[in-house]
Amino acid sequence: MMSCEEFERCGLDLDRPDAQPEEAALASEHAKHCPDCSALLASWREVKADLRLLRESTIHESAPARVEMRLKQELRTRRESRVPARTFAVASWALPAAAVLAVALGWMHWRSGAAPIAANKTAPAAVIAQESSANSDDEMLLASDYDSTAFTQLPDSMPSASSDQSVLQVRLQRGALMQYGVSVEPEQASEWVDVDFLVGEDGQPVAVRLHQDAQSDVGPR
Amino acid sequence: MKIVDEKEPALLKRAARGDEQAFLALYQKHQSPLYRYALRMTGSPWAAEEVVQEVFLLLIREPQKFQPERGELGAFLYGVTRNRVMKHLERLPREASLDAINANGTVWREPEDPLTPMMIAEKKERIEQVRDAVLELPAEFREAVVLCELEELSYEEAAQVCGCPVGTIRSRLHRGRALLLAKLELLRDAPRRASAGAK
Repeated sequence: MMSCEEFERCGLDLDRPDAQPEEAALASEHAKHCPDCSALLASWREVKADLRLLRESTIHESAPARVEMRLKQELRTRRESRVPARTFAVASWALPAAAVLAVALGWMHWRSGAAPIAANKTAPAAVIAQESSANSDDEMLLASDYDSTAFTQLPDSMPSASSDQSVLQVRLQRGALMQYGVSVEPEQASEWVDVDFLVGEDGQPVAVRLHQDAQSDVGPR
Repeated sequence: MKIVDEKEPALLKRAARGDEQAFLALYQKHQSPLYRYALRMTGSPWAAEEVVQEVFLLLIREPQKFQPERGELGAFLYGVTRNRVMKHLERLPREASLDAINANGTVWREPEDPLTPMMIAEKKERIEQVRDAVLELPAEFREAVVLCELEELSYEEAAQVCGCPVGTIRSRLHRGRALLLAKLELLRDAPRRASAGAK
């Protein structure tokens, strides 16, 4: 048998769907025989009915539409702010990668230009150098400006079919040509002349050509 | 697959990546019970609106705070809502009257129904009385009444929302019911067992 104290504690759960059946049966039995607890149960059932009315009257309450609008706005703002962040992340590796690529290309270019520079060093005087190469259209044009057949093959050098040759324009004293095996009249040895050297892949001159005004009396020994 | 069929953690992941549809699916599912809970606890539509907005802003800004292995998203959101509501209630002066809760005049009132006949005026009055009586309960008892009687959650669900044992919920509900009975019987001038349990 349930006491009034116990009824006060759990008797009002009688109508709940999750009430324990045994407890509910005992409470129901107690209320039948106890006028006070019966009155309490009746009072509670009235309040419960009012609570249900309150529940039903507010069951469709929901947050105003402006809340949804604000949240959407926040979502969009965050999405947009994420795009520059992604761009920054890509740039953070793309820029160094581009820099490395540029350095590598520069190094390769420097390497390919090393042979003409060596030729410059072996030339007897510093002059304007023009390089002929088959690597680009412009350089081929430059090469075609020089007709290799007009050059005089230097003694002790082999004719080369390679197109990777450079032309060096040099101003020197005619006598200096003697060191390349070119015969020079002694009285003209001190004259300054403009000469084109055809420089091979190894940086050594393989042929020589004097400009039109200095061609007389020059030829291989 | 329709978006409503997707599981909530998957929707939340998509929402965290900025997927508006996924976020709205979650919002539409949960906002109404959270708003009602906040409204019934605070009695202020303005406060309830702020609370719901803050809860979903948290979901947008810090979705990682929800851990699926620790429970359902609904329970998590209820928990966050509860914290915000309690903070709101703590800021209010204890002695504030119900109508003074909302300084901007947005006191919670039942929606007007133009079709309501005069015959049910008494019903409306009873609803207002019970609403006021619920709002006058101390927060912890009010919470138990709101969750178990108005939202009709089970004791286990209510305990999960409040983060306390089922026994605590039952105890709070017992006290809340007793206080509610006492208040309403005094209001209606029909004391039966007004003193029971409210001592």
